[in-house]
Amino acid sequence: MRTRVRAALRARPGAVGSGITVSLRLKLLLLGLATLVLPWEGTRYAREMESALREGEQDSLGAVAQSIASSLQGRTDLLYREPVTRGVGANVSAGVASPAPAETGHPAGTPDSSAVGTGNAATSTGAATSTGDATSTGNATTPTGTATPTGNTATPTDNSAAGHSSASVAEEAPARGSDGSPVTAPQGAFDLQPLVLEAAPYIDGYPDEWPQDPGAWRHYRHGRKGFGILTGVYERMLYVLLDVRDDHFVFDAGDASPLDPDASGDRIWLGFSSPDGNEHQVFFSASGPGSLMARRVVSGEFGRDTAVSEPRISGAWQPGPDGYRVELRVPLSMVGNRLGVLIDDRDVRGAVPTSYGMLRPQDLHTQGRLIAASPELLGYLKQFLQPGLRLAVAAPSGRALAQADALAQATELGPEPGLLARLYRRWVDEPQTHRPLTASAFIYDRGRQSPIGTLSVTQTGERWLTLRDRALTRMLNSTLVTTVIAVVLMFVFAARLALRLSRLRRASESALTREGLITTFPETASPDELGDVARGFSTLLGRLNEYTGYLRTLAGKLAHEIRTPLTIVRSSLENLETEGVSPGAHVYLDRARQGSERLNSILLAMGAATRVEEAIAGAERVCFDLVPVVASAVASYGNAFPQRRFAAELPGEPIGIDGAPDLIVQMLDKLIDNAVDFSPPGAQILVRLRVEPRIAWLEVDNPGSPLAPQVRVRLFESLWQSRSDRDSRPHFGLGLYIVRLIAEFHGGTASAENLPGNAGARFSVRLPAL
Amino acid sequence: MKRLVAIVEDEPAIRENYAAAFTREGYTVRAYGNRDQAMTAFASRLPDLAVIDISLEEEPEGGFELCRQLRALSAELPIIFLTARDTELDAVSGLRLGADDFLTKDLSLAHLIARVNALFRRVDALRRPHEATQVVRRGPLTLDPERMQIEWEGQVVLLSLTEFWIVFALARHPGHVKNRQQLMDAANVVLDDNTITSHVKRIRRKFQAIDPKFDAVQTVYGMGYRWVD
Repeated sequence: MRTRVRAALRARPGAVGSGITVSLRLKLLLLGLATLVLPWEGTRYAREMESALREGEQDSLGAVAQSIASSLQGRTDLLYREPVTRGVGANVSAGVASPAPAETGHPAGTPDSSAVGTGNAATSTGAATSTGDATSTGNATTPTGTATPTGNTATPTDNSAAGHSSASVAEEAPARGSDGSPVTAPQGAFDLQPLVLEAAPYIDGYPDEWPQDPGAWRHYRHGRKGFGILTGVYERMLYVLLDVRDDHFVFDAGDASPLDPDASGDRIWLGFSSPDGNEHQVFFSASGPGSLMARRVVSGEFGRDTAVSEPRISGAWQPGPDGYRVELRVPLSMVGNRLGVLIDDRDVRGAVPTSYGMLRPQDLHTQGRLIAASPELLGYLKQFLQPGLRLAVAAPSGRALAQADALAQATELGPEPGLLARLYRRWVDEPQTHRPLTASAFIYDRGRQSPIGTLSVTQTGERWLTLRDRALTRMLNSTLVTTVIAVVLMFVFAARLALRLSRLRRASESALTREGLITTFPETASPDELGDVARGFSTLLGRLNEYTGYLRTLAGKLAHEIRTPLTIVRSSLENLETEGVSPGAHVYLDRARQGSERLNSILLAMGAATRVEEAIAGAERVCFDLVPVVASAVASYGNAFPQRRFAAELPGEPIGIDGAPDLIVQMLDKLIDNAVDFSPPGAQILVRLRVEPRIAWLEVDNPGSPLAPQVRVRLFESLWQSRSDRDSRPHFGLGLYIVRLIAEFHGGTASAENLPGNAGARFSVRLPAL
Repeated sequence: MKRLVAIVEDEPAIRENYAAAFTREGYTVRAYGNRDQAMTAFASRLPDLAVIDISLEEEPEGGFELCRQLRALSAELPIIFLTARDTELDAVSGLRLGADDFLTKDLSLAHLIARVNALFRRVDALRRPHEATQVVRRGPLTLDPERMQIEWEGQVVLLSLTEFWIVFALARHPGHVKNRQQLMDAANVVLDDNTITSHVKRIRRKFQAIDPKFDAVQTVYGMGYRWVD
């Protein structure tokens, strides 16, 4: 459409209307496109909304974290499987009550330590704990006692840990004392902090199912020997992976009693406190790769020790790269908050073992803590869990204790967004948009003195993104539709406006006709501004029409009005002639008569245009051959104008014309008159008849002065002449006007041009031929 | 007895000038300024010839009405329209109402009087017994210059005086081309080309009313017309 308009513009450089058409359409289109600001603004709004939502979500997430953390306040039983106390009051009086200290007996493994903060409650008094320590030690002595033979044999201790076991304990003590709570104490040399496992490792002695986390390993060395220990918790099970460096592993003699020192090979001791605080030890001895049996040493009635298998603990042995690997599984329900491993290394079966590890070799006392959350913590967290959330509890050291994860679970909001929505999302989203939100809060101890852990809540952005996407999609869709509608409407409106304007322009351009001015104007009935313009035009044209009508009839009216007084003059003169005037007066009489004759011929000429129009209107059309008509007419001009020569170029074939031959001849007469008037005496006037398919050209060439350019357009207008009067004949410029009228009557046109080299003029009439 | 010519013309100066000219020619002249005066006078005595203007004082078309009334009183009375109006329509209307000629005021007094004389001659000739001697016969055409009457295939063709003279000029010398000027001279009129053309057209139409195949008046383009037997 724009090319068409442009083409029109090129074709009509002066056409103001087309220029308006282009700019109007373009302008309105641009206006329509301005509505595209809406979606742009909308996306900005959506982003702001999103960040507001995000902030709100962050706040509420913080509140959630805070409230869950508060609900976990002091819950060391959940976080660290500390024995449950009976409330703060009971704890305070626990100094006297024996059961309570028994529960808090875990630090009892270190009798030398003051164990001030052993109680769950940070406020537990030193006196209370010390008593607790005493009892627990008492309890613990029994198993240690049984283990003592082995423990005694294992005199050389690990140089890093056991080598200064007392020192390490001494290290722990002030730490605990200062914090007032064991859970917040820095990890001791023998403390174990299990990983929170994603899946249960298969107990086969291979480390395949374990996470690759070198930092989680604890290493204990004893000379060339040593072992690494990795612990993990999954559900209600504690898993232990041991990687022992041992160049020479000695299996047990398969058929001998496990307690027979002579049959003993390498042994692994697992020491732990039970939930009630008593210490227990089990040992594993392998007689070949494969599963291991846990055994416990039980003192019989006659002081005889027997090895009883412990089926709840399972294990497996496999050779490793530098020694062997042992994988163990212990139900958490069996284990309290202490756990450790001791290796009895023998180079020969039945030899005195080298004991090193995390148990005190003398009495197999478990020196290290097991910092693991209760399995109930996960259950507790799970009750707060929602799709898209992850709840995690970590120890103050940063190590995770428990984690309930539902991040990957889809939120219940909305189905998968459509193509458009995805497009919008891509458009609006910023890089950080999809980062999940995290909020964390400290879990404090009972006295709100120091944190015992951190609770972190993570939430995916999906929830509010979905919310935002919904709003955004709806908004963008509606603005898109609005824009499209607005643009289409504006385009239609512009096109209609342009159409109306061009109609108005065409009407105003063609308002001036031969019959007068057209006053029936388009758009005059429209109630808008364009209608006003059209009505203004119409009124103007109406007035102009009246005026031109007056002008047009002026000549005729004037002629008519002059005719009567002229008749009076002429008839009076004629009468006067008969009255016998003197010969001298006769001269004047003749002059007066000549004058009146001229006046009369002027009047005739003035009325000629009207008469020609009447004659044309009344002309009858016939089909005739143009060639003989022109030939016969040209033949007669030699007599009429003896001072000019006439030549005719006529085609051989007939040219059929539907029209009036009389008028054609009259037209040719006028063209010849004109040619004679503008050519010097003796010149040759050439009449040429050419035929093209369905078109006949009648051309009259005369030598003489060329036509001035400004003259050519007006030549064929009524009452127009450019010549200076050279003779007495009245010239009213009607000749070429009549040519035009007759040409138009035949459906043709008349035109004038200069001959090549400006040697003269050529007048052409184009007539449609049959 | 002098012939009575009635002049009905609202312009006093013209009226008087015409009256003087006719009087000089030996006619008795009665001049009227409007239709009522004229009709009152005509009721008592009919003139021998009437020269009528079309627009009469308040009546723009009064002459036509007067012509109709006069024609009702007498079928033979020669009536000439002499008017400043020269449109084709006026001429056709005037002649259709039974006027013998339709002349414009460009016509000189001498030409006017020549016509009046000719009309009187025709009236006289019509009154006399028919003399066949002067009659020209060319095929179906019978031309009586005395009575200024033309018959085609035995039927009278009702032509105005101007038309008769044009046909007469053409038919007297069949095959000879008469140009427009010659025809104007023969008809004692000064007309422009278009008026001659429309006269010829009317003549053809009147003949064709009798004989649709009439084709005796031929146009020689650029020159004029000729009669073909």
